[in-house]
Amino acid sequence: MSTAELVTVTIDERSVQVPKGTGLVETAAMAGIEIPVFCYEPRLGAAVGACRMCLVEVEGMPPKPQAGCTLSAQEGMVVKTARTSELARSAQNATLEFILVNHPLDCPVCDKGGECPLQDLTFRYGPGRTRMTFEKRTFEKPIPISPAISLDRERCILCYRCTRFSESVSEDGQLVAVNRGAQSLIATFEDEPYTGPFTGNVTELCPVGALLPTQPRFEIRPWELQSVPTVCGLCPVGCNIDVNQREGKVKRILSRNHPELDEGWLCDKGRFGFSHLYAQDRITDPLRRVRRRGLEELSWADALDEAERLLRAAEGRIAVALSGSETNEHAYGLAKLIRRGLASHSAVLPEETGAGLDAFRAPLAAIRDAELVVVLGDDPVAERAPIADLWLRKARRAGAEIVELGPLGDLQVAPGTTAQACRKLLRSELGSRLRTSERAILIWSGGGAGGGSHLAALAGELGFAAKPGCAAFLLPETANGRGVAEAWAAASDEEGAEDQPLGLLIVSGDEAAANPNVRALAERAESVLAITMFHTLAVGWSDLVLPGTSYLERDGTYVNLEGRIQRLRRAAIPPAPDELAWIAELAARFQVELSPHPSLVFSELSERVFGGVTYEDLGEQARLPERAPFAATAESPDEPVPAEAAGGGLQLLRYRPLFSGAAVERVPELQFQRPPPQIELSAEDASRLGVSSGQPLSVRSNGTSLELKAAVNRHLRPGTARIAEEHARRLHGSVEVSP
Amino acid sequence: MAELIVLAGAQDRDLTQLAEYRAVGGYVQLERARALAPTSVIEELNTANLRGRGGAFFPTGKKMQFIPSREQIDKPHYVCVNADESEPGTFKDREIMQRVPHRLLEGCLIAAHAIDAQHVFIYIRGEYLAEFELLKTALDDAREAGLLGETVIVLHRGAGAYICGEESGLLESLEGKRGQPRSRPPFPASSGLYASPTLINNVETIATIPKVLELGGAEYARLGAPPDSTGTRLFCVSGNVVKGGNYELPMGITIREVIYDLAGGIPEGRELKAVIPGGSSMPILSADQIDVPLEHDALRALDTFLGAAAVIVIDDRACMVQLGLRVAQFYMHESCGKCTPCREGTRWLVQLLEAIEAGQATHSQLELLLDVCDRILGKCLCPLGDAAAMPVASYVVKFREEFRAHVDQGRCPFGGASSLEGLFAPVDQHGQHPVLAEGVPA
Repeated sequence: MSTAELVTVTIDERSVQVPKGTGLVETAAMAGIEIPVFCYEPRLGAAVGACRMCLVEVEGMPPKPQAGCTLSAQEGMVVKTARTSELARSAQNATLEFILVNHPLDCPVCDKGGECPLQDLTFRYGPGRTRMTFEKRTFEKPIPISPAISLDRERCILCYRCTRFSESVSEDGQLVAVNRGAQSLIATFEDEPYTGPFTGNVTELCPVGALLPTQPRFEIRPWELQSVPTVCGLCPVGCNIDVNQREGKVKRILSRNHPELDEGWLCDKGRFGFSHLYAQDRITDPLRRVRRRGLEELSWADALDEAERLLRAAEGRIAVALSGSETNEHAYGLAKLIRRGLASHSAVLPEETGAGLDAFRAPLAAIRDAELVVVLGDDPVAERAPIADLWLRKARRAGAEIVELGPLGDLQVAPGTTAQACRKLLRSELGSRLRTSERAILIWSGGGAGGGSHLAALAGELGFAAKPGCAAFLLPETANGRGVAEAWAAASDEEGAEDQPLGLLIVSGDEAAANPNVRALAERAESVLAITMFHTLAVGWSDLVLPGTSYLERDGTYVNLEGRIQRLRRAAIPPAPDELAWIAELAARFQVELSPHPSLVFSELSERVFGGVTYEDLGEQARLPERAPFAATAESPDEPVPAEAAGGGLQLLRYRPLFSGAAVERVPELQFQRPPPQIELSAEDASRLGVSSGQPLSVRSNGTSLELKAAVNRHLRPGTARIAEEHARRLHGSVEVSP
Repeated sequence: MAELIVLAGAQDRDLTQLAEYRAVGGYVQLERARALAPTSVIEELNTANLRGRGGAFFPTGKKMQFIPSREQIDKPHYVCVNADESEPGTFKDREIMQRVPHRLLEGCLIAAHAIDAQHVFIYIRGEYLAEFELLKTALDDAREAGLLGETVIVLHRGAGAYICGEESGLLESLEGKRGQPRSRPPFPASSGLYASPTLINNVETIATIPKVLELGGAEYARLGAPPDSTGTRLFCVSGNVVKGGNYELPMGITIREVIYDLAGGIPEGRELKAVIPGGSSMPILSADQIDVPLEHDALRALDTFLGAAAVIVIDDRACMVQLGLRVAQFYMHESCGKCTPCREGTRWLVQLLEAIEAGQATHSQLELLLDVCDRILGKCLCPLGDAAAMPVASYVVKFREEFRAHVDQGRCPFGGASSLEGLFAPVDQHGQHPVLAEGVPA
């Protein structure tokens, strides 16, 4: 660790040794002494000293209270807090009196009550009664600063945590303070909704009940909530979360700071996405297709009999389409059943993943310390792994150079040509800087096969394996695609036979159900068994539907994009048995030994692929496994280069927005975050076509025609048309655009 | 006999004209300074013991010495000139810009040389449009005459916030951000404008520099009230006096001399009630304290400060509660809202003073008023909170009987006959310039 010089600081007559420059608030905490704060939050950048809660007395400084949060430990420093200094005590008491002068004191109806720092610090340091007898300042309230967050300006104590987050963490600049003095208030520009991947973090930063999530409004008392430490399953980052539930229902999700991984930030999808659990179209009972009558519910016993019948009828001609959202244990259980019990080995895996990158493994936090980061690929990082975007911003603020190479990047290349660009990169000036840097990072942020192998080859070529400060990250599309692939592989060494008519297709999960390739496969299958959470997805084309569960309802493990194995804990009671429970039951019918308990399945799986680590080893905050030795791999073949759009056409770039997918579609508070039906055009193409943002356009390709609104994106490569997956529908290849 | 320093030559010449300014020795010191090592220039200012004229009285040379060398911090150096003169009762920087703009520019260029800066920013109060135009013309003339050399001088107009006259608020505003003070340390000398080493000084301080070099530091240090209060100040005399205006005088002159010998006394034979020696934010002096010399140490002994040398004369028509209210309302309006005690405290002070003036307060609320002042004092992020608390508390302490009378009588004892006429209101500068050099005891 750090070899910083140690200094001795005396706080309230207690001596403590800390590295020189440690913040005084942290130094005091080391001595077991509280310096109370509101505005101080080191993750928001330099201390601002605004709230004046942290006032202390410091020997040798001017004889007035000093803002402790702005000071740092120096040798011989002698500090007195409110415990031992009348000056500090009365100063802190004064700050609280001033804060409360215009505070509505509506704690009994405030959702923050019970976990409110203002309440707590008032009890510890504040005046017991008010001397304010005049009219308090009032504001209109609550203001919905977005459908997900409400703002109570009367409760606001103007600590500026939210505006500092917006300005210097998410860097969206949308939350600002307007007006001056006692009339200052927090607002968005022209009252536009606060939009972006990270807005919900301000509800956790707010030290009072001013910024609150609307989802649990008036439904929760903090002391009635039970908190379950688990990980988010909506993207491959796997942010550590605390799921707050009451009476078995999830009420809200808070971050559970893993400093190497998420630094205590969450994206709005992870924070607010949970209410998909309670969607109207959630499937809670097994369903069977009955000729001419459609679907009918059936009991679990009948459903398992029916599943057994379908499995036997397929005579080994079974394919499993996996989602990448299954737990390792669930995927392993399914693999054992199908591969060992039925000797069927063909699977549709959600995406190509591989162990090749383990030689360049590092925690996401390594991005922060980089001096040079190259982001390769078609998609912005925030769409695929939002928290990685915050690490990149932090690196840039610390002076790192971030180079984006892609259709939206600083170095513009056509969609789908990242692999080619990689090879050019090796020979470029940027490539030689990557080669010589000790702190360089590569990030592959795009779809298409072979990304992992290309990235591993590139990192290997650049000598990253021998440089601990250099790392390579692949941002996959699914939360646990890699774990699922490893679990599938671990269940058997047999290979699947090809080219036989498909007897049964098992569609495991909603992502698989939404995949058009899986849909096409279903057309060829004699029967389809789907495991899905929602009615609209696979139900129309399945013979048997078994209710799926969510990551919030399962025990088990996920492997995140770093290769970190993390534990999921059941935070909510699912409306149906979880997958592993009934898979184990079916397995028994085919003489396959499979425990219904995730912990036991994990032990078995871990022996095979995770080097025997146990649940206990994983703990609540999992450590990243060591780097694997580097082995040069055969270069994977290039993907076919998409043809440049011919004639006046534009090359279509489809992308999956962060705010999309089965869960997001079912969360009312996230609808405003979904991209509108629009087509993004480069400024050059827009001016050539004579169109401006907001104008409706006709977009055509191969017989498909859609109407989409134009959106000029100044970062987009000319010749490209960028459309969200959900709006692009059947468009493909090259699109014609006209007003 | 006292002589003019900052305004020297302006009594009988139009020094806004470059040729006229050169005729009185203008820009000669710049040439001299540029031939000197920066350290020698700073040494001269230290010898003169030139102190900051914006109110903080910090030694100018020492401030320059705090600027780290380029070897220590590899960043550009900046000079910022605080021309955001907004303290009620002050109007001296305005007069300097109106009458000796070239002296200010010459001072800027010398300061830039002294700290090895290529850029100078002059942040001018938004309402000072005429002064901005004058300074702009002077700057154009100086540039055309090739006097700027490698130095770039930028004039920036503020947008009407008192807090932008606080140095770190000024820097934030200059950077295009919301005008709010910064927490210090780091101080501007190491991390100021664009996080680079920055020298920031008041207009009067900068405009004094050429004359310090002309006279020599040692000679300058003999003026005024050595050892600390050396040199002259532009005293902004306003309020209830016959001849308000700017008077450039050596420090150490007494308030009595200023009021009665120079400013013609109190109009219409009214009685002097009180004097504020340094601008609206300074604690008040009662009529029996006016023999105090206007210099730092003597005023400090009376618990007040010279501040920006704005002498506000108050006659017997003034209700001190109303005066406190006027001051508190100003600071409530100008509080930036960043730190708690100032934002909430100034509003509370106004509410308390309103209640007292309306005769609706209790004696315990008088004590509360003092306590609120005390709870603001010394606990804020910048001096603005103190600027409200110090004067209000001093009015209560010095005129407690008058405050008590409001409570006891349940109304203002003046019964509507009071007047705050001319208090904190600008003195008309354009009719006459009562700059006096004669008849003042040195």
